[in-house]
Order: sequence, then C-alpha cells, then structure tokens
Amino acid sequence: MLFNSLSFVIFLIVVLILYYVKLFSWTNKKRMLLFASYVFYGLWNPPLVVLLWISTMVDWTAGNKLAKEENKRIRKLWLLLSMSVNLGFLAFFKYGNFLLENFTALVNSVDIYYHPLKMDIILPMGISFYTFQTMSYTIDMYNKKNQPARTFLDFALYVTFFPQLVAGPIVRAGDLITQFYEEKKATVNQFIWGLFLLTIGLFQKVVLADTLLSKTSDTIFDSTNILNSWDAWTGTLAFSGQIFFDFAGYSTCAIGIALMLGIILPDNFKYPYASLGFSDFWKRWHITLSSWLKDYLYIPLGGNRYGVTRMYAALMVTMLLGGLWHGAAWTFVVWGGLHGTYLILERLQRKYIPFTINKWNGIFLAVLTFTCVNFTWVFFRAREFLTAKNMLSSMLFMNPDGEKLLQSFDIIKVFTLISLMFLSHWFMRNTSLKEVSLKTPPWFLGVVWAIMFLLIAIAQGSGEQFIYFQF
Amino acid sequence: MYLKQSLIIAFTLSVISLGAWEMYWRTQGFYPTIDDNKELWATQRARAEKATSEDVLLMGSSRVLFDIQLDEWEKETGKRPIQLACVGSSPLPVFHDIIEKTGFTGTVLIGVTPGLFFSTTFPKAQPWEWPQSRVDYYYKRTYAQRLNHALSLPLQENFAFLSEDEGIDGLKLKELIGKIKVGERVPDPMPPFHEFGVIAKDRNLKMKEIAVTDTTYANSIKKVWMFFGKGAPPPDKGATMTFFLKDLEKFKARGGKVILVRCPSSGGLRMGENLGLPRSEFYDDLVQKAQVKSYHFEDYAQFKNLECPEWSHLSANDAQFFTSELVKIMLKDGALTNYKTN
Repeated sequence: MLFNSLSFVIFLIVVLILYYVKLFSWTNKKRMLLFASYVFYGLWNPPLVVLLWISTMVDWTAGNKLAKEENKRIRKLWLLLSMSVNLGFLAFFKYGNFLLENFTALVNSVDIYYHPLKMDIILPMGISFYTFQTMSYTIDMYNKKNQPARTFLDFALYVTFFPQLVAGPIVRAGDLITQFYEEKKATVNQFIWGLFLLTIGLFQKVVLADTLLSKTSDTIFDSTNILNSWDAWTGTLAFSGQIFFDFAGYSTCAIGIALMLGIILPDNFKYPYASLGFSDFWKRWHITLSSWLKDYLYIPLGGNRYGVTRMYAALMVTMLLGGLWHGAAWTFVVWGGLHGTYLILERLQRKYIPFTINKWNGIFLAVLTFTCVNFTWVFFRAREFLTAKNMLSSMLFMNPDGEKLLQSFDIIKVFTLISLMFLSHWFMRNTSLKEVSLKTPPWFLGVVWAIMFLLIAIAQGSGEQFIYFQF
Repeated sequence: MYLKQSLIIAFTLSVISLGAWEMYWRTQGFYPTIDDNKELWATQRARAEKATSEDVLLMGSSRVLFDIQLDEWEKETGKRPIQLACVGSSPLPVFHDIIEKTGFTGTVLIGVTPGLFFSTTFPKAQPWEWPQSRVDYYYKRTYAQRLNHALSLPLQENFAFLSEDEGIDGLKLKELIGKIKVGERVPDPMPPFHEFGVIAKDRNLKMKEIAVTDTTYANSIKKVWMFFGKGAPPPDKGATMTFFLKDLEKFKARGGKVILVRCPSSGGLRMGENLGLPRSEFYDDLVQKAQVKSYHFEDYAQFKNLECPEWSHLSANDAQFFTSELVKIMLKDGALTNYKTN
C-alpha cells in the first residue's frame, strides 16, 4: 500500500479509529497495529508476508538465545543463523539475477559455454529495510548492547510497524521496541503536527517529485543519445531533486503517521543538499542507513582504530556495499565508490590543506558539495554505464552539438526549483521545521498547509511508487 | 504552538479553494468523466475469465470502442459484450492473451483498422506495447491497486477536475504546467489533441457532442490523424498475419468463433488507408486466409454513407445505428446467437 493512495487514506482512518476508541487494551491495540501492518504489506503481495514472518521468528528466537547463552561459539552460531537468513533473503530476492549474470559473464570469459535463463524473481517491497532492521536487533543482542524484547508481540510490531516498514527510517530496537512497552497516545498537538508532516511528505512526493521533476529526469535518462549540456544538467538536477523529495517525502510521511499514533521515529534527512562536505552529507542524507552502515559495517571492519590505510579501506568497502544495498547493479557500486572516494579525499584535505569554514566560504563549499553529489546521481539513475558516460561528458561540456530534448520552460522550471530547494536547505541547515513553525503565525501555517493540500489534490498523483521501495 | 488554529484555517481554505477549483473547470465546459485507464481495462479483462461460450469479447482499436455500442448490442442479442478494445492499438496482443491464458470458447469480434492491425509485432512498437502493457498490468495488479481504483470511481464520477486526460484537455497539475511554453527550443510537431470520447464503467465509449457540432474541434483531431499517418512506418503484413492466424487456428480448434469487422472511416483518412493499405491486398487477404465471418462497412448499403466527424470514428448516434444494424446482419448471418427472452 502506498501513502499516496486512496486505499491508504481509508486504511489510516480505520487504524486511527481502532487505536483511539476505548474498546481495546494496549495489548489488543498492539495486536491491531500488527495485523494492520500485515494488511498494509499484504495488499501488495500476500504470499510475501511469509518472509516477514520468517525474519521475525528467526530474529526473535536468535535474540532470546543470545540473551541467555554465554558460550561464545554457540552465540556466534545464533548470530550466523540470523545473518544467513536475512542476508540469504537479500541475496536470493534482490541479488539473485545480478549474481547469476556476473557468474555467467565470468565463466563465459574463460570460454565456458553457460547461458542460464534469467530467474523470474519478485523483489519483495522494502526487503532491504526490514532485514537491516531485524539484523540490527540480533547484532546488538550479540554485542550485549540491547535488552531482549519483552514480548513476541512487541518484537513482531518492531519488525513490521507499517509507517516505516517498506522504506524506513531504519529504526534500532532500543529506539522503537521500548516505546511499545507502555500505552502510547498522541497529544492533540502531536496528532495535528503528525498530520501536518504527512501533508508535507505527500506534497514532496506527489507535487515536487512526481509532478514537477520526474518527467524531466525520465526524459533525459531514458534517452540513448548524446545530449546537450543544458539538457544533461537539467536532467541530473531534476533527478537530484526527485530522489530527495521522493525519499524524504516518504520518511516525513512515516514520521508523521507514527506521531499520530504517539510513536516517535528518528529523523532521516536534515537538509542534506546544504552539506559542507561529504561526511556532513552522510550525517544528513538517509541518516538511519548511514548510521547503520557505520555501526554494523565500518566499525566492525576496523573503523579508525588500525591506522589510516585500514580506515580508508574500511570506508571504501562500507560505501561500496552501501551502494550495492541500493540496487543490484554495478552502477550503484560505482555510486558508492564515488562517495567513498569523496570521503577519503575530504579526510586528506582536512589533514593536508585544513581551513576554517565560515559564512563566506560555507555557501561555496555547499555548492561544491552539491555539484559533486550531482555527478554521483548520474550513476545512481543511469541503468547502463554508457548512459552515465554520455551524461557525464555532456555535463562536462564535451558535447557542444549534443541533442536537445527539453523545452526552455522545463530547464527554467528545474533550475528554479532546484535553486529554491538548495537555498531552503541552506537557510534550514542549522534549524528544524518544528523550530521554524514555532516562530510562524498560526494563520500563515494554515495557509501554507491549505496550499499544499490543494496542490496535492490538483496533482492527482496516480499512486506512483516511491523510488526507494525498489531498494 | 497554535496548531488547532492552523488546522481549522487549513481545512476551511482547502474546502473553499477545492470547491472553487471544481466550479471553475465546470464553467469552462468540463464535467465529471471516468478515465479509460489500465485499471478500468483490467476490470473488464477480469470478466473475460468467467465468460462462457455465449459471451462476446470485443477487441481492436478505438474504432471498436467508439463504433460498437454495448446498449444497442445487448438490446439486439440479449447479451452485453465485454469491451477489451484499446485506443491506438493492435488487437493481436489482447487476442493472444485470451487464447493463451484463458479457456474462453465464445465469440471474439476483432476490429480491423488496417493501419493498426497490420502494423507490427515488435514488442516495443507503440501499437503493440500499449495493449501489452494493459495485459501485463492485469496480471501484476495488486489488491491495493484494485482497491484504489474501486475507491477512485465514485470520485471520478463526481468531480470534473479529477481527470487523467493528457494534452490540451488535461487538468492535472502536470498537464497544466506542461501547457506553459517559453519559446520553442525543441520543435514539437504533434498537433494539439482533444479527448473526444466519454467512457462508462463498462468501457462503453461515446463520442462527445462537441466533436460532431464544432468543426474546428473535429478538424484539430483530423490534423492528429494526418500527423500519425505521415509518420507511420510501413505495415508488416507478413508477421502480423502469421501471428494472428496461428492464434486463430488454436482458438478455432477449441471451439471459439472469430468475427472480423472493418468499421467505417471517411475523408482524407479513408483515402490514405485505401492508398497505403488497399483492401484487396490487406483486408480481403486476411479474410480469405482466416476463413471466418467478416463484415466490411463498404459492403452494406446502410453503412456506405456514414460520415465520421473526425474521419475515423462514428458519432454517438451513428454508432448506435451502426451497432444495431451490424448486429442484425450478424444475427441473420448466424454469426451471433440471439439470447433475448421475450
């Protein structure tokens, strides 16, 4: 089920009514939320709910065993079981065909004739999110950083909680399960603020991403021709806006919906396009994934504990795997690799050419970071390396006779919108929506809210899927 | 924080502005209509799963949609056919799907619009890709998508501003923004295109009255046909015939019946069709090889003088006449069975 759909409106109203009527105990309300979460997921593809159940059962069992078991070898085996099941799901459903294609290419390169048929595998929606979430529980249990969930119901709800089930934020057990222990009820202000966040999230997705940017980005990246520089830049900027508004929109909706139930979810985006450098970017973009990768990949790989070379290697491996997490294609690996390279170069700069960031060079640095990030988006969006190569050469003004695909208005629209987005990130980078809204007159907030709602209604988003559902 | 105040202001302004938006478009001549989208097609395709040997499936392009009126058909035969035709499409992918994925043994009426029927079997070509995408959607649609469509129908039936129409009649924000032009950086040779039909829940489509009464409106549609005619690739008669005849044999073998119908066209479009895809070389050859009942509008006195307002489709009144007469001919011919109970 998608947040930007009529069925979700009905679904949410029913859930809220059942949640707030005084008919049920807290335990029954949690059961209702769990059942609703399975319905939410099952309306897309009912049989794949089984994967959620398996993941839940395995990690619940592993977590309980790890809580009691002291034998190191047995503890390791329980951790291994959890990792095997969760990563096994990912390997089969997400990377099955990718692995097969690469294996085929490899054996063909040594003249072994092998041409298997492509496997017809459905990618379960949000599998990368809920497997990472459940794994974090078991890894924390293994490292004795976590208490086991008090009841199976609490744990199952943690794995399946519908607002963040299919595209995050990826929440740690300690941040969410404990919220289920005592009855939660949103205050009136929390409920209304949650509704406001839901509206903002839908506005970002339906109006900004789908209506204003997606067509331009699709036109450019679907082209197989060598393009004019203006078109290439417009397409890339359109995609950078589209992916931000799409994903941040989903996260904002999720946070808003959870808040309407009195549950607090962590922020996932903090105005990332005004980042001052790449480590700042990863503290602001998909925060819950970057902190997951840092805690469960970068630090176990050694982090900065074993010298500079090992640190750079750990950083690069983390970013390469982070790229692969996004999709089963080498273009995503290159995307991750570029970010890894940026992070290493930034650390080298800090060491050898240090400078202080002030308000004068800050904006220049933010523009530079945003520009470099745009180059990485080319690999993220292009389905083939040839498309990426052509796009990059056009963006570097190497194709003066490249084909023009966009009308002047499309270029003006995208440049205006992306400039406004960048400036809003710049002015908001040290504050929050909540802080700004506290300083805003209620009538003005109401007018802005009404404009967003009207534009969502006029945009008539036809239930287009969120980009991150495929990851 | 005075969020309650903000919510009340937002709610009031939203209701007022949305009401004003709806009123504005109604004053501009728009009224609530249902969208002929993939969901609507899929609901009819789902009906074909339960269709019996007494049922009739209609396939083809927009001519079958406009010219075959379901009410008249039902009046004459006692059975309402299932409308599976798709605009701008070859009927072959849909026919193939019915042959391969169902056990249907009833009657299939296939509209032969020469430029589309004989166009292509290439999966990425538009006349093939469009209907195939609907077939694919039918199999892949989720329960959530079905529910969304069911919930959207009452809204579509009551609000004019809710419309998936594209181009100059589009009312979605994306379409409204798309109409803004600043110079012409890239030439756009496609003439503006009006949506000139109104569809019902069972996909019975009727031509809008404005296309009949307003010559300028009709002429703008003719320009689009000329545009498509000029840019059309050469027909692929060999591949399309082979593909169709193979499916036809399979269908006949299991007891199914096929009727081929060539719906009327007129004016410049008909001239173009006669020049590019002459009847003797294409339609007659198809009929001869298919060995099924066939009806060409030129062969019947009552259809010869039917005029299509925009050269390609009949007005609502003429479509009713055409359907009624065609069904009578087919009943008389034994191509159809009369299930009317008096």
